[in-house]
Amino acid sequence: METQVQSPIEGRDTKTTGCYVYCVVPYAYEVCPDVTGIEGCRVYAIVHRGLGAIVHDCAAQPYRSEDAHLVASWVMAHHRVVEAAWERWGTVLPLTFNTIVKGADERSAVENTRMWLDVEHEWLRARLSSLTGKVEYGIQVFWDTETIARTVAVTNSEVRKLQEEIESKPRGLAYMYRQKLENLLRKGLEARAAEEFKDLYARISRCTANVRAEKVKNGELGRQMLVNLSCLVCQDRFPDLQAELDQVNNTEGFSVRLVGPLPPYSFC
Amino acid sequence: MAMEPMARHRATLVDLLDRVLDHGVIINADIIITLAGVPLVGINLRAALAGMDTMTKYGVMSDWDERIRAEESGSEVLPGHQLTAQHAVSLATATTAR
Repeated sequence: METQVQSPIEGRDTKTTGCYVYCVVPYAYEVCPDVTGIEGCRVYAIVHRGLGAIVHDCAAQPYRSEDAHLVASWVMAHHRVVEAAWERWGTVLPLTFNTIVKGADERSAVENTRMWLDVEHEWLRARLSSLTGKVEYGIQVFWDTETIARTVAVTNSEVRKLQEEIESKPRGLAYMYRQKLENLLRKGLEARAAEEFKDLYARISRCTANVRAEKVKNGELGRQMLVNLSCLVCQDRFPDLQAELDQVNNTEGFSVRLVGPLPPYSFC
Repeated sequence: MAMEPMARHRATLVDLLDRVLDHGVIINADIIITLAGVPLVGINLRAALAGMDTMTKYGVMSDWDERIRAEESGSEVLPGHQLTAQHAVSLATATTAR
């Protein structure tokens, strides 16, 4: 469902001091997705030369709060608007949270936003066209540390040798050897993790238009995050990516979490 | 082996925080509100979000993530998006790691 919106300037308070900008879309017409913005604000499009900035009117000050629930609801609302615009126009250039254009020098925030669309027209057009037909996915690969450690224990020759040595020693010395073994295992696991990262990165890169490695997060009980990627994927390549991830997910000790499709937040 | 194709998950709050706060176009221009010349991206939000750690430790956040989604979308939570206990833990630890 879409709502008809009047011309952005006529009938609007031109003294509006700020425009919170969610995203830029190609050829916006005068319609907006039927969605409310942060704190229920009315969202509309500022249209200029075939580009539309999706905004709401706000005070010329940033959103700040110590209340985590409130902040989370802002972030969700921001995403909801970007997602709605993305669904409506197919391609979208999301702006980062808290991007607020202010009015200055007799020019309203709306006029400044339009000016920005004008000045950055070429760049915005180029970015939008490079994102056409592409969506973002989040890919996280986890491994089960215990399972992998067991394979390292079997396949790593140094670890095997040390194990045999331990068995031939009197019990009193076992503790010292145990630590040595643990260190070797840890080193083996680290080397294996580096290898797996390279391999996964290469395999995933082959099916995607762009990859961005994000910081890995803490895992939980035995499950460790090995790879955390944001990927820009051409929609027609998605089956290839899915097949590749299926293979990883079906490898013993590995699991994959695939999130998306999302607007291309990480590739602007 | 017969395989179901890799399932796609809807983004959780943590997925969105990473993207909405850290990514997206950053405009560097005089017309953008800044504080002492620093773009106001995520300022103070980080401090607020640090408070989430406590919530996630007690598993409050998973319900809450669902609830906000439901409220925000003004509709029911999509099927297949129910957080499992395991997922809740991963959500919790992921946020803690921020």
